[in-house]
Amino acid sequence: MAAGERIPGTPRYRHHLLKNPGTEPFLPNFLLKEWIAGSVFLLGFILWVVFNPMDVGPKANPDDTSFIPVPDWYFYFLYQILKYFPGNYEVFGTVVLPLVGALLLLFAPWLDVSKARHPYKRPLATASMVLVTFLCIWLTNEAAVQHRAEVAAEQGGGVSAGLPVLPKVPASQIHLVDTTMPGYEIFSHTCAGCHGASGEGGFGPPVYAIGKYWNEQQLYDFVIKGMGQMPPRGGLSSDAEVRKVVEWLAKQKG
Amino acid sequence: MLKKAYDWIDERLNVTPLWRDVADHEVPAHVNPAIKMSAFVYCFGGLTFLVITTQILSGMFLAMYYTPDITNAWYSVKYITDEVLLGNVVRGMHFWGASLVIIMMFLHMLRVFFTGAYKAPRELNWVVGVLLFFVVLGFGFTGYLLPWDQKAYWATAVGSQLAGTVPWIGPYLQTLLLGSHTVGALTLTRFFAIHVFFLPAALLVLLALHFIMIRAQHIAGPL
Ligand code: HEC
Ligand code: HEM
Repeated sequence: MAAGERIPGTPRYRHHLLKNPGTEPFLPNFLLKEWIAGSVFLLGFILWVVFNPMDVGPKANPDDTSFIPVPDWYFYFLYQILKYFPGNYEVFGTVVLPLVGALLLLFAPWLDVSKARHPYKRPLATASMVLVTFLCIWLTNEAAVQHRAEVAAEQGGGVSAGLPVLPKVPASQIHLVDTTMPGYEIFSHTCAGCHGASGEGGFGPPVYAIGKYWNEQQLYDFVIKGMGQMPPRGGLSSDAEVRKVVEWLAKQKG
Repeated sequence: MLKKAYDWIDERLNVTPLWRDVADHEVPAHVNPAIKMSAFVYCFGGLTFLVITTQILSGMFLAMYYTPDITNAWYSVKYITDEVLLGNVVRGMHFWGASLVIIMMFLHMLRVFFTGAYKAPRELNWVVGVLLFFVVLGFGFTGYLLPWDQKAYWATAVGSQLAGTVPWIGPYLQTLLLGSHTVGALTLTRFFAIHVFFLPAALLVLLALHFIMIRAQHIAGPL
């Protein structure tokens, strides 16, 4: 138990501190303001979460070796380093460089021993950290760009640049909704030949959750025009039929 | 009534000095954004802690539905995402929060570095900070496998292969990570245990050390 006099009473604002401007007590003065800043931060976070709903990728399948592995983005810089040390030099990327980096960071206080604290007064330390920061950002971006290109090249019957790309998923994991609508009927007869019976893709790209990216009007405009190997109206003869298909397709959100 | 209850407890346990010590702690002007706007960089540590708190809370709720075995893990995550009330939001908080912790922690580290706050006498707290960084990366690595989707499976497959390339100890390290020779049932239970028991324990100990040291040494003075 902490020693000291028992001070009766609940928290009170300490007015006498006003003659000592600059510092303020942690509670309640500082924490109350801090709390407001924290709430704004949390609100922004929650809004982000709500407007970026989660989905689940296809279930793990050890037999499908065609999947392009990728770590979460904050490991990209390590992952990217590996690519510069192929073959026998691999150990530089997997062990040497990360280990040296980690040790430098861990022992920074004993490497930069001058008394000076201002960043301008210790140019070597400051410049190194700025450099490392930019290097990490660059490596991360490089890995992201390369991964996107790999995925695009992999997608059989890939899509033209600028179109939404749906991940390939086995047909058994797709749950189409509202299959009683007339649009589903038309899809099965016409579009399924290229896009698969469950929209899992085939000659054409997967479309099973295209409604997540495009609304009905955007889909209508796209299908009417067609693009590349995709025939105008998707091979249908009337605009009214296209309208029915996209009405159903827009509801498929994965 | 509340005051009576408080006094009753206080007379017996003398709790006032405990919180008065924290409450009366003077917050210096140079770290207070209300006085100098540019002091917001001193908030990054606190914000990291805030996000870590939300991670712990959202993680506790996810654990109510998540099933750490290879037949059910993916379905349990799908169930959380599509069926459970607010499941998508809680999972989203945990998913995006993981990235946010990394970002805030990195910013916090940069602020400590550029203000030279790691210099004597605060070397040990810097070391604790770097260890915290590794623990948080460990959370990211183990958590990534838990949904048991294709991304999870293949990232861990590659990650463990890389561990296998470490000279001498590589094969042992790989077996230690995987629990067998490939990513499988044992890997998932192992990563789950690390993610929800081992790493949180390490995190809480390190955080306690971090905060005790900050209190003992005060925040570094103005530049
Ligand atoms: C002859 C085969 C074929 C038929 C039939 C076909 N498509 Fe396509 N579809 C394609 C191809 C190929 C692409 C990719 C075009 C590109 O990106 O250049 C495509 C792209 C699309 C896209 C964009 C997908 C994305 O991920 O961006 C949609 C939506 C689409 N088709 C809907 C339909 C609908 C609806 C029908 C039926 C009315 C249909 N398609 C019939 C071949 C076909
Ligand atoms: C789990 C993540 C972490 C949390 C929650 C955390 C929290 C905090 C908080 C609240 C402070 C008070 C000052 C401030 O907010 O800026 C602080 C100070 C400090 N942190 Fe962290 N921190 C974390 C990770 C790190 C890391 C990764 C490092 C460095 C590698 C680090 C090194 C330090 C040091 C040296 C101080 C003292 C700074 C001073 O005296 O000015 N911390 N930390």
